[in-house]
Amino acid sequence: MSLIKSSTIDILDSIGEGLFTVNKDFKINFFNSAAERITGLKREEVFGKFCKHVFRSNRCFIKCPIAQVLETDKNIYELESKIRNRNGNFVPIKMNVSVLKNAENEPTGGVISFRDISELEIFREKHIKKNQFHGVVGHSKAMQEIFQLIEEISDSDASVLIQGDSGTGKEMIANAVQATSLRKDKPFIKVNCSVFSPQLLASELFGHVKGSFTGAIKDRQGRFEVADGGTLFLDEVCEMPMQTQLQLLRVIQEGTFERVGESITRTVDVRVIAASNKNIKETISQGNFREDLYYRLNVIPIEIPPIDERKEDIPHLVKHFIKKYALIYNKNIQDVEDDALEHLINYPWPGNVRELENAIEYSFARTKDKNIIEFCKLPPNIREKASPIVRQNKSCHSKDETTAIIQLLEKHQWNKTKVAKELGIGRSTLWRKLKELNLGE
Amino acid sequence: MSEMLGNQYFLARKYSLAADELEKALSKNPTSKGIRRKLIICEIQHGNINRALELFVSLVEEDVAFIIDADPIMDDCPCPELVYDMEEQFSDNKNSLDYHLKLAMIWLYCDVNKSLQYFNLSLSMNGDNDLIKKIINHLTSYLLKQEQT
Repeated sequence: MSLIKSSTIDILDSIGEGLFTVNKDFKINFFNSAAERITGLKREEVFGKFCKHVFRSNRCFIKCPIAQVLETDKNIYELESKIRNRNGNFVPIKMNVSVLKNAENEPTGGVISFRDISELEIFREKHIKKNQFHGVVGHSKAMQEIFQLIEEISDSDASVLIQGDSGTGKEMIANAVQATSLRKDKPFIKVNCSVFSPQLLASELFGHVKGSFTGAIKDRQGRFEVADGGTLFLDEVCEMPMQTQLQLLRVIQEGTFERVGESITRTVDVRVIAASNKNIKETISQGNFREDLYYRLNVIPIEIPPIDERKEDIPHLVKHFIKKYALIYNKNIQDVEDDALEHLINYPWPGNVRELENAIEYSFARTKDKNIIEFCKLPPNIREKASPIVRQNKSCHSKDETTAIIQLLEKHQWNKTKVAKELGIGRSTLWRKLKELNLGE
Repeated sequence: MSEMLGNQYFLARKYSLAADELEKALSKNPTSKGIRRKLIICEIQHGNINRALELFVSLVEEDVAFIIDADPIMDDCPCPELVYDMEEQFSDNKNSLDYHLKLAMIWLYCDVNKSLQYFNLSLSMNGDNDLIKKIINHLTSYLLKQEQT
């Protein structure tokens, strides 16, 4: 403290960021006014105390940021953490950390500047709450209406029929319906009706007794029995054979069924959520789906619009997937280039949210040493939808590379074999590069 | 790598990592009492009893009060919790010389009489150990001086 001149103290006291320093024993030897304001602690109280006793953060024991700087010899910037204030409440902060060294380059202390991000956290939570509903991202009016409907039906046990194109997130919506329902703590069983043969689907749903068919080597409970008291999600319900549809209708109406190969009637209490990417009315008119079952399932209809009809959700979905894959790939990618986002918004997305997610994962895998997804890292099918001028301007080739290729072409009178040889690449690679640079012909 | 990093590992109770760093720091600054005081605990926890004893004797001979005056709060001395763990929960062989030596050294950070008690027990298990005799002499004379003042 005595080493710090009073003028320096005045300056450090006037800044908005909290700042404290520790000596090499990790005892606090400076604590500015903003640090006092953020923590509610007076400097007299903290001087000479170990920082871990003052801030009482788990990070002090698990991953002390000053120790990290000492280990890596790299300063830390904008690290999010939490410290305890005078009342023992956690205060979310962002901090910058560095180590002080003497003339012999020996560490003699550490300096941490930090700012309170409580308001940012509140804003973030509100933003997430507004744009996410049990993991479903949706800012658009259509999605907000779906979220509202799900909340409104939370105390109902009525059947739900979710319709939407492939990849729109029908299962996510089913999860949200279940998570908000009175049965949220009860079993939630999912069956995809398209993956079983007709006989196996009946057995899967209602169970079977030993010897009822080849391969039935012992008695087995069906999914309805397993889901008793809870919820059963029937995905791709239109693929269900007519005979099984009849059994399903009965279990929905009466709560009764028999296992395959057995005559004992069993009773269950199961809520059914069904989903389909097919137009069910069309399937009914084709004679492939029972109309009475449709009305039983369609008590609460939810129709998820394709992503192409709710483009305003795309930036939020992109951000959501960037956060997700930043964690999975452990990459510091935080955003997407404006032009790239524009193309993501304009792309028609026939595969809906699933295709968008795949596109972000593809871009993540291709992005190295940058914290932003560039246009040139988007999947080729999305880039191809952009105009040739955009493709050329936003190509990942550096200006230097373009200039070098043009200079070599001129040097060799556009003899591509010679240019490829001088570049040390194959002729086909050169052709591809020239095509990408619009120098193909 | 540095004494400061060793200090942090010590604060975080990562004794093995702390021992490595503090040994390096001690080789650069062999007279540092602060480093030795922490290192004794780290080496005990790390299972290096002989090294701990060697450091312990050097510090007892030089300034026994430096160990005795270690404060659980102001020096972040972990000995109260270590003693508790060793006496109440530790599954080590409680009849071994190492067990008694560890407790004898650790107790000096909290209670000189308890420490002396464990050193005497250690000596009864190994009557030829000159190092233990030397320590007992130092502690006894320290206590006598304390009584006189």
